[in-house]
Amino acid sequence: MELNCLGMRCPLPIIKLAQQLKKTEEVTLLSDDPATLPDLTAWARMTGNTFTTLGEHRYLVKRL
Amino acid sequence: MGSVTTNFQSESPLHPAARAFLDDAFDRGWADPSKPHQSSRQTAILLNESKEIFSRHLGIRTDQVEFLADPAIGFHLGLSGLFSEFGQFFHSAVDRSEVFAAAETLGGIKLPVGLNGLATYPEGTERDLLAWQAANGETGIISFQPSTFKGRIFVDATASGPHLRMPDRWHSGLWNSQSWQGPRGLGIFALSDRSAWKNPLPHIDHNISSSNFSIPLAIASALALEGYVSDYKAEKKRIEALNVRIRDFLASEIRDVDIAGHVSGGLPHLLSFSILYIDAQILINKLDERGFAVDSGSACNSANMEPSHVLAAMGILTHGNVRLTLHPTVKDEEIEEFLHVLKEEVAELRS
Repeated sequence: MELNCLGMRCPLPIIKLAQQLKKTEEVTLLSDDPATLPDLTAWARMTGNTFTTLGEHRYLVKRL
Repeated sequence: MGSVTTNFQSESPLHPAARAFLDDAFDRGWADPSKPHQSSRQTAILLNESKEIFSRHLGIRTDQVEFLADPAIGFHLGLSGLFSEFGQFFHSAVDRSEVFAAAETLGGIKLPVGLNGLATYPEGTERDLLAWQAANGETGIISFQPSTFKGRIFVDATASGPHLRMPDRWHSGLWNSQSWQGPRGLGIFALSDRSAWKNPLPHIDHNISSSNFSIPLAIASALALEGYVSDYKAEKKRIEALNVRIRDFLASEIRDVDIAGHVSGGLPHLLSFSILYIDAQILINKLDERGFAVDSGSACNSANMEPSHVLAAMGILTHGNVRLTLHPTVKDEEIEEFLHVLKEEVAELRS
């Protein structure tokens, strides 16, 4: 499942991501907001979910 | 929509002790203290008395006190003036942007910080330079002492003001008058030893800074400092308890809040926390409508749309960030009301 959040500002990408993860176990997040990488890191620590950076503006996020 | 606003911003009105004396300061402190007239002598006396106040509360000698019309230039004076091209320049990832600017020019090594906001300093050599922030202005986190570092140390006390002692060894130091409710547009700069320092600005004499600072404002700032220290001393225990109260409330009453640091290792009047899935700009406007002015390090609230580099370096959530400064005059009831309003607004934004 790919979630395109390009052009969206924080906190929208993280909110959309959390909503999507309720439906699917794995999401490829596309986001070019400068807050996304630090916020994914903090969000993963707070929620227990995990993510890996696939490339520029591209992250693979897995539900706990 | 009460007209009374509780001010949690880092800026505050001029301290009443300074304001009461402002007219007098301009009446008696207008002359050039280096001239031979009576008016000049009067100005010189007032300025010396002010230097004694700064000396007493900032932990430096009176002859080390230098005034800057722009605190920001002090970063350049303090860092570039101590830098040796044969040494390395270390600074932390949570330093102020002025330090990053100096690192850009001089070539710097950025020391990472953990979730606790603390950097570990290298031993270095005598030729190396360290930008050492006594405490962080966003989170209030107090840094480790730079006691094992062998090189030269620039102390950034612009956030900690009179709250923290100078380290055992230091070479240059910088303070900002605003951190003790003094007037804006005044910095205090100090060198422990002139021999290690070279003036990085164009200069023709031995003066450290040619900046044309306002003497009446320097006098007002000294009075503000004295008043602030005394207010703070009286209220410190209460401010600490309020900080604990806010943290406990956030942890138990609002889901998913990321709080930076702990009360024990921080300045009790500063607090930064981030609320998951909340747009800081909307929250801050809502709080403002309800009479609470707070700061934020979230991207949507900054001029360049970048999140706070301090939060990002620590790994603290950067969106939904709220930053509070608990001024000595803040009332317990105001905190309770704020927490109640915050919880309500967060619940509404999340629904």
